[in-house]
Amino acid sequence: MIRKVLVTVLLALSLVMTIYGGFFRKFLVYDNLEKFDKLKNVGITIKVPGYENSSQSFTPESQWFSEPEMVRAMTFEGVKRYKDGKLISNYPDLRMLKGRIPCPT
Amino acid sequence: MEKIRLKVQIACVALLNLGLFQWQTVCFPVLNCHSCPIAIFSCPVGIIGQFIGLGLIPLSVIGIVAIAGLTVGRFLCGWVCPFGFFQDLLYKVPYIKFDIPRWTRLIKYGVFVGLVVAVPFFLTPGFPAYFCRLCPVATIESAVPWALINGTTDILSLTLRLGILFAIVVASMGHRRFFCKVICPLGAILAPLNRFAMIFPERNDKCTNCGVCNKVCPMETKQGESKFGVYDGAPEECISCLDCRDKCPTEAIKIWG
Repeated sequence: MIRKVLVTVLLALSLVMTIYGGFFRKFLVYDNLEKFDKLKNVGITIKVPGYENSSQSFTPESQWFSEPEMVRAMTFEGVKRYKDGKLISNYPDLRMLKGRIPCPT
Repeated sequence: MEKIRLKVQIACVALLNLGLFQWQTVCFPVLNCHSCPIAIFSCPVGIIGQFIGLGLIPLSVIGIVAIAGLTVGRFLCGWVCPFGFFQDLLYKVPYIKFDIPRWTRLIKYGVFVGLVVAVPFFLTPGFPAYFCRLCPVATIESAVPWALINGTTDILSLTLRLGILFAIVVASMGHRRFFCKVICPLGAILAPLNRFAMIFPERNDKCTNCGVCNKVCPMETKQGESKFGVYDGAPEECISCLDCRDKCPTEAIKIWG
C-alpha cells in the first residue's frame, strides 16, 4: 500500500514537472553580450539594454526560449551565462540557436 | 525471449539513430548521444549536465526520466539502450570472463554525482573531466564520426576517449554489462526508481528456490527468499531481460508485477 501511494505521488510529481517544463517554463536568452563587449573595446558604441543607452548602431536582442528549445540549444552547447548571470547565446547571433543542427561535443 | 529481445534491441538501435528527422527538443531515457550525426533524440545525461552547468534544473528531462523509471524502470536498459545491446554483443566474444566485487556498482552513483553534476556545476561543462567528454557512447556515436567527417585538431582528447572506450570494451567482453553495472550515470538515476517500476519479473508459487535464475542473471541481482519480485536481492539492478524466465525449470516467473 505504501509503495503504491509513493509511486502515485512520484508519478504525479514527474508528470507535473514534465508538463510545466515542457509547455510553460520559459528562459530569456540574450544575444552574445561578449561580442558587444568586444565591439565596444574597439571603439564602437553599442546599445545593450541595461548597460548602454547611447548608440543606435547595434542592438542586442533577447528571445524567450521554451525548455524544449533550450534542451535543443544545449545539445550543441548554445547557451552560457554572462558575467552578470544573464543567459546568453554561445554563438555570435541569437538566431543561430533555433533550428540549428547540433555539432560535436 | 532472448531472440525477441535481440530483435527489439536491433530495432531500437535503428529507430533511435535513423537520422530521418531530428527531434532533439525531447530526451529519450537511454544513453544515446545527441551529437551523433544521425541521432533523433537528446541524451538526458548530456542535457542534465549542460543545464546544471548553467545553474538550472531541466524539469521536463528529469520528469521524463522519472516517468520512465517509475513505469518501466531499467527495462529500457535491457531492451532499448543501444550501448546495452553493444555490451550484450561484446560479451559473446570469446574472452577471459571475470567477476567484479558487488561494491563496484556504487561507482555509478559517484559518476553521476561527480562527473555529471559536480563538474559542470563547480567548474564548467567544457572541463575535460565532464562526463560527456569521456563518455564511451559519445566516442562511438559522436567523436569518431565527427573526427572522420570534419577532421580533429584535438588529438590528445580523442586519444583519451578512445583509450577509455577500449578499456570499457575489454571489460565488457570479460564481464556482462560491465558499463551498466559500474559506470552508467543514467543507470544510477533509473536504479532507485526500479524498486517502484510497474514492469518487473515476479515469481509465483511454482518457485522451488532452485537458484537457476541467480546463475543466469546478467546483472547478478541475487534473488532472496521472498517471492515478491525475482530480484528481491538487488531490485535496483534488474534490467528485465527475462533470461531468468527463459531458464526457469518450473516456469515460475512472469513479467508483469
